[in-house]
Amino acid sequence: MRDTPLSPIPGTLELLILRTLGAGSEMHGFAILEWIHQSTDDALIVEDGALYHALHRMERRRWVDSDWGISEKGRRARYYRISPEGRRVLAAEEERWSRYVEAVGKIAPREAGT
Amino acid sequence: MAPRRRLFRLGFGRPGPGRQVDWEIEHYLVEQTERLMAEGWTAEEARREAERRFGGLARQRRRIVTVDWTEHAMRTGAAWWGGIRSGVAQAIRRIRRSPGFVAGIVLTLGLGIGVNGTMFGIVDRLLLRPPEGVAHPEQVRRILWRGMWLGRQGTIPALTYSDVVDLRTVPQFLSVGAFTSTRRLTLGSGEGATEVRAVLATADFFTTLGAHAQLGRVYTTKEDGIGAVSTVVLGNEFWRRRFAGDPDVLGRTLEIAGNSYTVIGVMPRGFTGVDLTPVDVWLPAVVARHAMDSSDRFLTSRGYYWLQAVVRVSDEASAVAGSAAATALIVNARTDQVRRGQYDANTRVFTAPLLAARGPRASATSKVALWLAGVALAVLLIACANVANLFLAQGARRRREVAVRLSLGVTRSRLVAELSIEAVLLAGLGGVVALAVARWGGSLIRTLLIPDVLWQGSGLDGPVLAVTAALSVGAGLLAGLGPALRSARGNLNRDLLEGGRGSSAGGSPVRRGLTVMQAALSVVLLVGAGLFVRSLHRAANADLGLDTNRLVLASLEFNDPALSTTRDAAEVNRLYAEAIQRVRSVPGVARAAATDVPFQSAMIAHLTSPGVDSLPVSPGTGPFYYSVTPGYFRTVGLRVLRGRAILDSDGASAPKVALVNENMARTLWPTKQALGQCLYFDHQTECTTVVGVVENASTGDLDDTGALAYYLPLSQTGYAAEGLYVRTDRDPEVVAAAVAPVLRSFSPAVRYAQVQSLGEILAPQLRSWTLGASLFTAFGGLALLVAVVGLYSLLAFEVAQRRRDIGIRSALGASGGRLLRETLSRGTALAALGTVIGLAICLLAAPYVQQLLFHTDARDPLVLVVVVGVLLAVSGLASVPPALRSARTDPMEALRVE
Repeated sequence: MRDTPLSPIPGTLELLILRTLGAGSEMHGFAILEWIHQSTDDALIVEDGALYHALHRMERRRWVDSDWGISEKGRRARYYRISPEGRRVLAAEEERWSRYVEAVGKIAPREAGT
Repeated sequence: MAPRRRLFRLGFGRPGPGRQVDWEIEHYLVEQTERLMAEGWTAEEARREAERRFGGLARQRRRIVTVDWTEHAMRTGAAWWGGIRSGVAQAIRRIRRSPGFVAGIVLTLGLGIGVNGTMFGIVDRLLLRPPEGVAHPEQVRRILWRGMWLGRQGTIPALTYSDVVDLRTVPQFLSVGAFTSTRRLTLGSGEGATEVRAVLATADFFTTLGAHAQLGRVYTTKEDGIGAVSTVVLGNEFWRRRFAGDPDVLGRTLEIAGNSYTVIGVMPRGFTGVDLTPVDVWLPAVVARHAMDSSDRFLTSRGYYWLQAVVRVSDEASAVAGSAAATALIVNARTDQVRRGQYDANTRVFTAPLLAARGPRASATSKVALWLAGVALAVLLIACANVANLFLAQGARRRREVAVRLSLGVTRSRLVAELSIEAVLLAGLGGVVALAVARWGGSLIRTLLIPDVLWQGSGLDGPVLAVTAALSVGAGLLAGLGPALRSARGNLNRDLLEGGRGSSAGGSPVRRGLTVMQAALSVVLLVGAGLFVRSLHRAANADLGLDTNRLVLASLEFNDPALSTTRDAAEVNRLYAEAIQRVRSVPGVARAAATDVPFQSAMIAHLTSPGVDSLPVSPGTGPFYYSVTPGYFRTVGLRVLRGRAILDSDGASAPKVALVNENMARTLWPTKQALGQCLYFDHQTECTTVVGVVENASTGDLDDTGALAYYLPLSQTGYAAEGLYVRTDRDPEVVAAAVAPVLRSFSPAVRYAQVQSLGEILAPQLRSWTLGASLFTAFGGLALLVAVVGLYSLLAFEVAQRRRDIGIRSALGASGGRLLRETLSRGTALAALGTVIGLAICLLAAPYVQQLLFHTDARDPLVLVVVVGVLLAVSGLASVPPALRSARTDPMEALRVE
């Protein structure tokens, strides 16, 4: 499974979460949600619950870790951070993504040329 | 990003997955609502919108929780599985590394668990499981009554046939069956005659129990009536033994007690009726009553108590109501007896559980067995304490290893799991040993100590296996969990630095406590052993009045019904006289005499004496009469205290004479001489003169010499002799074997002779003390051994742990003698403390054990002193080797290590 890191990712939601957390900070679910909404213009997430579902699935795969803490507003919140395993997945995925983009980039001009 | 404080530091401090998801969703809803309100939504609309955006609250929650639960389950499962696997691996490694340690644990636990499995098997048969082959046993009850009997308030099962007939009319009793206790009857005649264990039972006995024949059928009510053809149903074990399980046995005839019976059925395996004793043949009670006595008094009289009864009732309430009705019937039928003072008007009939051991007439054997089951638990506790001690010692030695593993990140709970699993595995091996113990020990106890119960199978049935398995796991946890927790709790830094040595012998206070407990329990068990051994000794040598040591009892059976019904008393007495002559010439026979009242029975006749107003006649205190031949007193070993014995000259035509026993002399003539007084016996008008006073004797019950009794010449009463006493001058068993063929062949009129030594007859009465004495001694010895080994290993361990300290002290000038004394006194102090606690337990338990003992005080000082002496001596011996080692410690060597 580790040799084919892309296959278990059903969509790009997990990748987005990994990227969001990849900056290195701990964030609670709502903060991650706001961040993704902003950076994708609300395009990706239909139901907010889906994000939490994804977070828990990712925790089960050990891509993220979580802890309970108190938020800046003084509320009890569950904080997520990316795990070493998550970083490997993210790196491999970004690598693959950039290869894909590169490949597409190589094809596109030729097509444009015809 | 945002600064935060941690809520939970450790993983296992978290609440369950469901709660966490709820918290998280709530956080989302609060934040979202707040944001929406900032955009201008009202609070209520904002909340609703937030829930909508989350998307199906319940559905989402369920999805998320499902994810978490699989995660949760996988994580715990993996931890457990890992723990189990490495526990097993650890155990195997250890078995390889220290087989001695493992063998010690396995053997100790195996013996401890084994004695429990054994005792459970016995208690299960005696007290827990209903008798085999009884349908809905909870509905079947025994009939008992409470009232005066043989001079004492008693709880009695005996009924007359007329009483049973009355019970059948009680509407609450759905069905009533009657049966006799097991008796030995002659099978066949002449040379090949043997004895069978027979029970006479009414036909409705089988219907009441719901018991059916395995082969053929049981007899019907019609077949158990006067004049019916004689039928017999065989016990399964007898059928297999005697007829090799031949199905063609049906229709064959057996000659039992002189009558022929046609075999019509075979009962299923294990069927023994309601008592647990083996039964060879079941005979119809009415038809076979002649096997017991001749006359039809057995069917009509209210004075011949030869039956017991069981009833089937639908529930407890009808058992109570039925008992009240039965009481009225049985007491009202005896108004005459009550008026004459021969029957207790306050007699109450009641019902009792089917298993005798659970009712008010529980046998002493079953009570002792129950105590022994408790004692077996104590043995297991001692064994567990020892094993825990071994584990603690092991743990202390392995402290460094544990510390290293902990520092490498192995969690403590995993370590505990591992160590406990190891303990349970070792206990499981112990369980295998235990099965062997239960198998062989069990069959030994069954055949030697409780032979009068029909045991089925090998003793390793389902319940015993289950109990053994449960005890193995339990004992493993009990012995292993404490030490495991202790090991995992160690102080990392200290343990890593000090290694396996440890200066302060960690765990020693606990280990000392365990050792004290072992000593205490050993004392309790040994005191129990001492009490039972003393009881057995006293019961075996009990003063029955009779000198029972070298006495053989015989009785003749005759071919001619006129003789066996004792109608022709003169001929019977002539045959007995001839028998006496013949027997006297057998080597080893010193004397012989006959009586009309065999051992363990008692007869009452009408008796008056001038000047004595009311003779206290009762079925309890007598006066009982015995017609005897000359020489009777010297034969049975009764001393004539005053006057003379019965002589040959006291013939039928001579003046009538009698001897009374001391009790009777004192009761009838408290102020006068008994000699020369007049008795009127059995409505005779002729005065029977008292010519002697004889010492008191028991009627056969070990604990009874209270009855009034008088003795008449057999030739003057004209009653038929029914028994023959033979005094021997050597081993009575040997003489009995020599007497038997003589009595069976001296006359063609004699069909068979039963010959038994008195020791054999009294053995069942000694059984409970034999059982108690043997097993208490065995368990006590085992407990002492385990405890002493425990004490030894504790001291040896302490000396080894303190080797460095001892070395320093020795280097500083402490003498070997002083070091020796110190270790010795430490061992003795532990044993002494345990002894004091053990003695306290004994004194507290004394009132409960008292009833099981025979003429022995439960606080018998001799027993207590001996046990204390033994324990202190043995524990002193166990302390010597470690003490010597401590005294011989070479300071240089001790300090050089590490």
